[in-house]
Amino acid sequence: MENLGPAVAKLLEELNPFAVFGAGAAHGEVLAKNAVMLTNYSFFLICATILTAIFFFVASRKLSMVPKGIGNIGEMGVEFVRNSIVLDVMGSAGAPYVPFIVTVFFAILFNNFLGLIPGFKPGTGTLGTTFGWGIMVFVVYNWVGFKKNGFVGYLKSFLPTGTPWWLIPLIYPLEVISHFLRPFTLGVRLYANMYAGHIVLGVFGIFVVMVAEALSPFGAVIGSLSLLMQIIMYAFEVFVAFIQAYVFAILTAVYMSGALHAKEH
Amino acid sequence: METLIPYTSELLVSLVSFGVLFLLMWKFALPPITKMLDDRATKIRESLEKAEQTRDEAERLLDEYKEQLALARVEANRVIEQGRKVAETMKSEIVAKANEERESMLARAREEIQGEKRTAMAELQAQVADLSVAVASRLIGASLSAADHKALIEKSIAEVGSIDAR
Repeated sequence: MENLGPAVAKLLEELNPFAVFGAGAAHGEVLAKNAVMLTNYSFFLICATILTAIFFFVASRKLSMVPKGIGNIGEMGVEFVRNSIVLDVMGSAGAPYVPFIVTVFFAILFNNFLGLIPGFKPGTGTLGTTFGWGIMVFVVYNWVGFKKNGFVGYLKSFLPTGTPWWLIPLIYPLEVISHFLRPFTLGVRLYANMYAGHIVLGVFGIFVVMVAEALSPFGAVIGSLSLLMQIIMYAFEVFVAFIQAYVFAILTAVYMSGALHAKEH
Repeated sequence: METLIPYTSELLVSLVSFGVLFLLMWKFALPPITKMLDDRATKIRESLEKAEQTRDEAERLLDEYKEQLALARVEANRVIEQGRKVAETMKSEIVAKANEERESMLARAREEIQGEKRTAMAELQAQVADLSVAVASRLIGASLSAADHKALIEKSIAEVGSIDAR
């Protein structure tokens, strides 16, 4: 058990978003936050992006009237996002934003799933990616809001209808702050889920390896339980990978719907 | 706390890769997929509508045929009934005519028989008279022995027989 400390430290170092791809884990080296370099997470993010693009390129070329094969999978995915996320949340007004939300959903989904392959990392396991996408969603939905409702109209819509005039100075800043918090909540939720999931899988993995290295009756029990937990958590992480993509996409749709129908609020 | 400050490179990579992916999806991958989804939805709706139409048409035709069949059955019954009536009329006519003919034939036969009978009786009477005259003249003309009598009678009888034979 004396090995546990360094193993966990190594795991965390592995998962350190500031580790630079190709340079191994940046052993204690503090890298400048504004340096131009490719981190491990960014590398896998690019891999997942390329995979997503290839998957949809192939799927969109293998379509047939009677759905089958990869074309059918692509279609099912797009139909799911279009009907169960975009049109359900935004109504028919959401149709022009289907490509954006489909891309959000599948970019996250492919990143999350890629991270589940042992030895790989999810591109969404770092705040750099998820916060970046949170800001992007924030910019896009506010841009839609300003475009659809006019500058003043959209700013006015931040106030809930029926707010007494004397509460406006209190409510308005709160509403504005809640809008500005959205990219952070989007980013941190996705990042924390993926990062924590990876740590949990890593910790149980370390237990199993340690037991295998130093066999003992007590260790055999711990090791078996850890292996069982590893399998259960892995299945759970598959579920989380999907759910987090779904949550991010549906919140994007909710924010965009709020911006689209701002005047009705 | 270190990990909670995003890394500039990662932000840029995430935004650029998303932007590229979005352009690819928007311009190349999604249009054929959404088009196929819409086309299929349209096709399924059209097929259902067509099936509905075909079913209505089939039901209409079935009703029409049933109606025609019922009419045909009524017509057939009428024709059969009419045929039976005609046949019965003809039968009674034929029977009546046959009866009538039989009666007239019987009457005619009866008349002919009566006529023949009368003629025969007249002829018989004439011959009997002639024979009687002949017998009498012979009786009167000579006295005859017993043997002669016998011969004479036999001769007369033979003559009468030859008359009958004629």
